Amino acid sequence: MAPPPCFEAPSAPRGLLGAPAGCPARCLHPAGGAHAGFPRRQRRGRPFGFEAPSAPGARPGAAMAAGLWALLLLPLAAAVYEDQVGKFDWRQQYVGKLKFASLEASQGSKKLIVATEKNVVAALNSRSGEILWRHVDKGTPEGAIDAMMIHGQDAITVSNAGRILRSWETNIGGLNWEMSLDTGSFQVASLVGLQDVVKYVAVLKKAAISLHYLSNGHQKWVEHLPESESTQYQLLYSHGTGVIHVLGIVPQSHLNILTFSVEDGEITKQVIRVAAPWLKSLNGVCSVVGEAVLVCMDMGTHSLYVCSLETEQEMKQIPLQSLDLEFADGFQPRILATQPNVISPSRTQFFLQLSPSHFSLLQYKHGLLSHLRDFQQVPEINVLKHVRHSKTYIFLYCYWGLQPCYVFSSLFQKPGSSDDLHESLTCSNQTYNINLYLVETGQRLLDTTITFTLEQSGAKPQQLYIQVFLKKDDSVGYRALVQTEDHMLIFLQQPGKVVWSREESLAEVVSLEMVDLPLTGAQAELEGEFGKKADGLLGMFLKRLSSQLILLQAWTAHLWKMFYDARKPRSQIKNEINIDNLARDEFNLQKMMVMVTASGKLFGIESSSGTILWKQYLRNVKPGSSFKLMVQRTTAHFPHPPQCTLLVKDRETKMSFLYVFNPIFGKRSQVAPPVLKRPILQTLLLPIMDQDYAKVLLLIDDEYKVTAFPATKNVLRQLEEIAHSIFFYLVDAEQGKLSGFRLKKDLTTEESWEVIIPTEVQRIVTVKGKRSSEHVHSQGRVMGDRSVLYKSLNPNLLAVVTESTDTHHERTFIGIYLIDGVTGRIIHSSVQKKAKGPVHMVHSENWVVYQYWNTKARRNEFTVLELYEGTEQYNATAFSSLDRPILPQVLQQSYIFPSAISAMEATITERGITSRHLLIGLPSGAILSLPKALLDPRRPEIPTEQSREENLIPYSPDVQIHAERFINYNQTISRMRGIYTAPSGLESTCLVVAYGLDIYQTRVYPSKQFDVLKDDYDYVLISSVLFGLVFATMITKRLAQVKLLNRAWR
Amino acid sequence: MAAAVRGRRFKWSLELAAAPGGRPRGAAEGRGPLGFAERQLGEGGVHESDKILMEKRCWDVALAPLKQIPMNLFIMYMAGNTISIFPAMMVCMMGWRPLQALMSLSATLKALESSSRRALQGLVFLVGNGLGLALALYKCQAMGLLPTRPSDWLAFVAPPQRMEFTGGGLIL
Repeated sequence: MAPPPCFEAPSAPRGLLGAPAGCPARCLHPAGGAHAGFPRRQRRGRPFGFEAPSAPGARPGAAMAAGLWALLLLPLAAAVYEDQVGKFDWRQQYVGKLKFASLEASQGSKKLIVATEKNVVAALNSRSGEILWRHVDKGTPEGAIDAMMIHGQDAITVSNAGRILRSWETNIGGLNWEMSLDTGSFQVASLVGLQDVVKYVAVLKKAAISLHYLSNGHQKWVEHLPESESTQYQLLYSHGTGVIHVLGIVPQSHLNILTFSVEDGEITKQVIRVAAPWLKSLNGVCSVVGEAVLVCMDMGTHSLYVCSLETEQEMKQIPLQSLDLEFADGFQPRILATQPNVISPSRTQFFLQLSPSHFSLLQYKHGLLSHLRDFQQVPEINVLKHVRHSKTYIFLYCYWGLQPCYVFSSLFQKPGSSDDLHESLTCSNQTYNINLYLVETGQRLLDTTITFTLEQSGAKPQQLYIQVFLKKDDSVGYRALVQTEDHMLIFLQQPGKVVWSREESLAEVVSLEMVDLPLTGAQAELEGEFGKKADGLLGMFLKRLSSQLILLQAWTAHLWKMFYDARKPRSQIKNEINIDNLARDEFNLQKMMVMVTASGKLFGIESSSGTILWKQYLRNVKPGSSFKLMVQRTTAHFPHPPQCTLLVKDRETKMSFLYVFNPIFGKRSQVAPPVLKRPILQTLLLPIMDQDYAKVLLLIDDEYKVTAFPATKNVLRQLEEIAHSIFFYLVDAEQGKLSGFRLKKDLTTEESWEVIIPTEVQRIVTVKGKRSSEHVHSQGRVMGDRSVLYKSLNPNLLAVVTESTDTHHERTFIGIYLIDGVTGRIIHSSVQKKAKGPVHMVHSENWVVYQYWNTKARRNEFTVLELYEGTEQYNATAFSSLDRPILPQVLQQSYIFPSAISAMEATITERGITSRHLLIGLPSGAILSLPKALLDPRRPEIPTEQSREENLIPYSPDVQIHAERFINYNQTISRMRGIYTAPSGLESTCLVVAYGLDIYQTRVYPSKQFDVLKDDYDYVLISSVLFGLVFATMITKRLAQVKLLNRAWR
Repeated sequence: MAAAVRGRRFKWSLELAAAPGGRPRGAAEGRGPLGFAERQLGEGGVHESDKILMEKRCWDVALAPLKQIPMNLFIMYMAGNTISIFPAMMVCMMGWRPLQALMSLSATLKALESSSRRALQGLVFLVGNGLGLALALYKCQAMGLLPTRPSDWLAFVAPPQRMEFTGGGLIL
């Protein structure tokens, strides 16, 4: 791991942000929960960092320079007070989709150990579902976990394709030991016991098998496997007898059975060759049952083959017909057997899966195969191991039954349109059962059913893990962990109570939008009054009276609640947020976050608390689809409901569909989206609206035809009018082609420009336009001589980044192209030699900031480009890309950044008056808020009078990471992938959501909170002074009157 | 009796108007107070010098603003062009005084009424104040307080209207 960035903080040369003596450097350990990375709060004090504006003992000149720096940086630094922790921010941690899970068998245990596809090893609290501890490995395949085994208090994991063997202490999550293994493709790993004690772990690779001590990971022995070029060794079996059987297969020829001694790794018996010309692979097809008996399934002859590993050298064929069993055509049958314990033999009972939902329980005992029970309509069977205290084993397994999901169609009439009917297919709630059966006989255990219902989402259960325990009265009790298709984890208790559930699909958010919450009922009523048509003077008057009455009622209720809450201690006040009391706050700081996850599940999350208010699973979304989320109508158009549209495109079939929904309640909208017959290439959300205030969405398909949604007559007429001013640009990264299209009146397009970037030399990696919602308040910058340098604010500008295909460190380069999206004109292009991606880029206002790796100096660098029109504006009233005779001036500067970055975004505010900051996600999980003023190409190398007048900071090549600029103090975000920013109703405040494995939400104030009173504003002092003064005035007035009267009498 | 009463009231008294002859008190009225001249003073000469004085006084009033200017210039030079509280106050005073004078112009003109070259004096007064005002404005300009440059109106420049709409990106 890279050294934490905090190590750089104490060496801040300016003496500004260095903490005074007595306050330790605020070091943020990514995993340190208890260690607070924020300044301690002093009542009405400032954060410590500000109390030492200049370094003590510095020379006068240096002190002056430090003072200057202090002046420059003071408004830019920000930190959180200790009592503000968790007030405006929250973090949710996830582990991802489960790959392996182990529910500890004893009743009192409170942990579930999981290893996930996100390369996370974690322990979950089985009572609450919270994460007890979590270790996040690399996100690349290098960190992938291949196997997990539990032994007592230790969890053994194999990761990085069998290269690394680790042992974790499951109580506190500490690493017991770590061993790096030899290379070689990993096949299987297993615990090995010897005479009732499990002491070793065996790792089977393509060409070798190695045995390691469980206590310290040291290698006991390693043996090479014979004929490893032709033979694929795939199975490992031992049952405490002091030998390990390794099974290899030469496809369509024979099986190799090797037997190693646990003690010294010698091959105790000669290699046994068993002819099996029908066998292609061992995985799933073969299993070891009983005392080392191999059972294989042959599809061709519809028969089972049985062979004892220790005694026989031939395979015995048992036709399935003799058991009255048949399997479905085209289905690869599976054999599921289990070994209750690595020191005891496998069960003689095993399952044969004959079709996706048909299982058979068979028994092979004393050379005889018998059929115990058939299970039809079972989507998943889970074979459990459970040791009963009286040393008799009961084997339990369970299944779920599926009640047929019935389909009903209904007719909806869309308000506003006359003849728009459509059908909706809804699946009713699905109910599943889990039952326990005794494996010896196939009998069902009574009172062991768990019945659970999944919500309307229609996601099917995918995996089941069972924790079985004996109750005090010796009956069997169990809990079940169910993972559904949409990556939801549900922990169930008998008889079907959901103990907790986790939404693990949120570990992979792909798209995110923030939508304003609706007004309160009262406000909506008031607004509705103006929205509707007038119905007479008296009616209007009555309506006004009634709505005012409602307002009064709401206000008194609010006051009452305030009084009621004021009596309770602050910690007890819980503002439960649910979908019924959702309302916009005064400053619009609370919003609805609509999140689209890679699994195809949509979430509506309330931004101030992180409560999931609604979720919706789209069943027909395949993994790896691309998504584009657009807000067509905001909440501003009461009584029309807000409307979001999600475009989903399947990566394989290239077909796409639209899903239209209400972002506040998560319900599918009654508006029928157009059926898309052709693959959609891109979309464009126009600012024009239909009569229902929904913005018009244009979809361009692979024939370059455009579909409009909504496509009412009104919209089509408007489109016809402005068609000449609508342009598309499409970037084909594979062919290295950028092309522009002009919309014609009949909703077809014609190509207007094309830029080819040859793919042999470089490939396009990112294209970024500007955010359409962005407001730029100031059209220029005031120079030192009080003239204006006008910004070149081209809303159609695209920033395209390319990377060279040659990755040699001497020849690698990145290219930056600024292209006008309307005309295709290349406004600026530059090639940065000896630079390498991944490139992170932010494109906003008139600037582009990008970050890359400099291979020559071997460091991370930022480059900023700014575009200016000059001191004269060409056309101050209208911007048209088609009429721009003068190319903008491009200024450029580069800086050294001490860390790699994982995500970058710029803050955004309502009117764009507040200064901008860059939010930089670091691999350590921190988010750095870096003032854009530090990345300003006009920073002078030698400060002049004018540059000082302009408040330009003198150029220094290094941009430093100060721990005070971390907006998420110690709430680190694992594997950050993106940062989303949204404006709030307050100009000073910007809402930030960072997502990756975790989700973190907070607010930032780039120019401090200039428009609100401070959190610790002393109302009591101010009001007491005010009242005191008023009182004093009254008294002195009275006194003065008395005195005047007395004087008059004299 | 009366003397006795007086003698009792005052320990001593002095009557300056009393003649050495010891005339009775009532006779003094006809003679006039101390320094009283029976003879009338020459009218013409005194009137002449009064008028010159008056003229001079009027010129003083009219030239006062002009006389302020060198002083103001000196203060301006000393104050410098940085915007801080004292220079700002000085500029305010420099601007405010001529304004005040101009506002009370009618009163000043009334004061100048007695002068024979009233029009010229009024004009000089006006010019002097105008110059003072111009000087204050110049100082404001030098300090950058006057919104004379485009940069001062930058906050009010509306963003240009967008003529084209573009959309798209990497092919989904």
